[in-house]
Amino acid sequence: MADFEIRNLRASVEGKEILKGVTLGINKGEVHAVMGPNGSGKSTLSHTLMGHPGYTVDGGTVLFKGQNVLELETDERARLGMFLALQYPVVVPGISMTNFLRTALNAKRGYDGKDKSKQVTPKEFRSLLKGELEVLHMDDSFLPRYINDGFSGGEKKRAEILQMAILKPEIAILDETDSGLDIDSIKFVADAVNRMRGPDLGVLIITHYTRILEFIKPDFVHVLVDGRFVLSGGPEVADRLEKTGYSEWAEADEPAVLKPEEVA
Amino acid sequence: MPFTLETMEEIASLHGEPAWLRKRRRSSFDAFERLPAPSRIDEEWRRTDVSGFDPGQYSKLEHLDGQKLVLPSTLPPGVILKPLRQAAQDHPDLVEPRLFSLVHADRDRFTALHAAFFTGGTFLYVPDGVVIEQPVIGQHFSHEGGTSVLPHTLIVAGKGARFNYLDEYIAEDGNEIGYRSGSTEIFAGEGSQVGYVAVQKWGRNAWHFADQRAELQKDASLRLFNVTLGARFSKTRVEATLQGQGADAELKAIYFASGEQFFDFHTLQDHQVGNTRSDLLFKGALQDVARTVYAGLIRIEKGAARSDAYQANRNLVLSDHAKATSIPMLEIDNNDVRCTHGATVGPVDPLSMFYLRSRGIPEATAKRMIVQGFFGDVLDRIPFEHARALVEAELEARLG
Repeated sequence: MADFEIRNLRASVEGKEILKGVTLGINKGEVHAVMGPNGSGKSTLSHTLMGHPGYTVDGGTVLFKGQNVLELETDERARLGMFLALQYPVVVPGISMTNFLRTALNAKRGYDGKDKSKQVTPKEFRSLLKGELEVLHMDDSFLPRYINDGFSGGEKKRAEILQMAILKPEIAILDETDSGLDIDSIKFVADAVNRMRGPDLGVLIITHYTRILEFIKPDFVHVLVDGRFVLSGGPEVADRLEKTGYSEWAEADEPAVLKPEEVA
Repeated sequence: MPFTLETMEEIASLHGEPAWLRKRRRSSFDAFERLPAPSRIDEEWRRTDVSGFDPGQYSKLEHLDGQKLVLPSTLPPGVILKPLRQAAQDHPDLVEPRLFSLVHADRDRFTALHAAFFTGGTFLYVPDGVVIEQPVIGQHFSHEGGTSVLPHTLIVAGKGARFNYLDEYIAEDGNEIGYRSGSTEIFAGEGSQVGYVAVQKWGRNAWHFADQRAELQKDASLRLFNVTLGARFSKTRVEATLQGQGADAELKAIYFASGEQFFDFHTLQDHQVGNTRSDLLFKGALQDVARTVYAGLIRIEKGAARSDAYQANRNLVLSDHAKATSIPMLEIDNNDVRCTHGATVGPVDPLSMFYLRSRGIPEATAKRMIVQGFFGDVLDRIPFEHARALVEAELEARLG
């Protein structure tokens, strides 16, 4: 069994079935890409994994560290080691990025306002931030600003990856992180993610386009069409999509669906 | 000691109050006896039920000057800062023409009762051109439940005077029942700059009535900040009259209502002359089964051209059973003005909650951060640091 195992996941939005049985195993150390045309269920997959309130789980399990994370609250999933970089990061007025990052890091460490030994010290926090900001080519002027408030598209996405770097998840889901980014921003984001790659991190990149995969090389690529995987393989799958796009499935009335055991 | 004429005379003679003040108490008492209890037929009281309030139940008047003044280390020469009743004796020329001239005793039964029986309170007079750097702090304590505590603050700022003042209303027993009032009259002279903060922390079962009213002369600037946290029932009026060109009133408030608390706010921005500015923002959060009512009026009088008035009331509703009502009103008799108003009532944004929780922040912490964030921009407008720190700490303790 994989470190993070999605089994026959089915989910719907406002009563409409979107995910029709998704099975995928991700091990730490691996980078998986899920690609698909618009409306195929990519965002539903990422949001459902994190417990977004707008999505309803209709069936299946997601096993991580011996627990079915679908039964956990969103914040419990995060503290267990999951992270979702959102396609559209939320603007939260009134809360500074610094406060947000520090509170999240404290929560991850189990600091609940009582046991001060678990609390991140100001010095440690500063030095942690400093290194990551450099990698992402961000300056610290954005730290006192409210969460994502007035950030450009590129700043928002970089801020997502900064959060990931600070929180050090074991399973990271990057939802369309490349959308709306200029080429420099993509490179900075990719650099940061590549630095984090290693035996302690499994990554699931969700993307419509192959562009980000030029910078973050995936080990496996899966193609999602109409809520099911239709193709699964190594990086060569992305190369094929680069040439042909999703037309071969768009034209088929009933695309051939992979059996769970056929997903790499 | 019921609320009778005899009690009133007793209070007056206890401190040897001057005849004019006795007379004023007397006419206020007459108004109290004459005026009916407000009923739901009155527009102002339509959503505010006082039928359960019988002041006679709490007619034991607590410590007749239940107030502590925290003096700045040095007061500039000419400044008068003393208990109001002492000032009435010592400085009738300053007090007599002003006391209850902004907050009218006969406005309703409760203002009348307050004016007839007020005990304690502060008088602050800052002469022309005088600046006080450190804030002046008046603390009004209630020591036991079942009593009445009725302090009154009178502030007079001379031409070009500049200072900050804090009224803090403090209950020793957080669950006390009782009758509390805390009213303030502010006279902001020409070109003066006055910061005024009132923090109401009476016990959770008290009945509270307050009238905070200011009058601004030419080029005067007032930054008033009201904080309402205590009492089971709290009715507060915040009113500013802009009487001189160039006058500028900033009226801000925060309130946090929980449990069964009911808060009522009534505001007035009265632009009597032109080239005046008022900026009002009242922000509140409600949880449990708390209820709040906000009704605010911008009045621009006929000759008040080029007035600029802004009014907003924002409510964050944290529970399905809490309810906030907001009624903004405009009364404009001049076309050459700029007026903006707005009201919002809404729950915590579920996407914001999801976002914070997706970073591992537990639900209760995330909610608290969002409430603090909601208050953040208005907290920044508290006119001086001492009050800002006090309010932030108080809020944090109450948000749990």
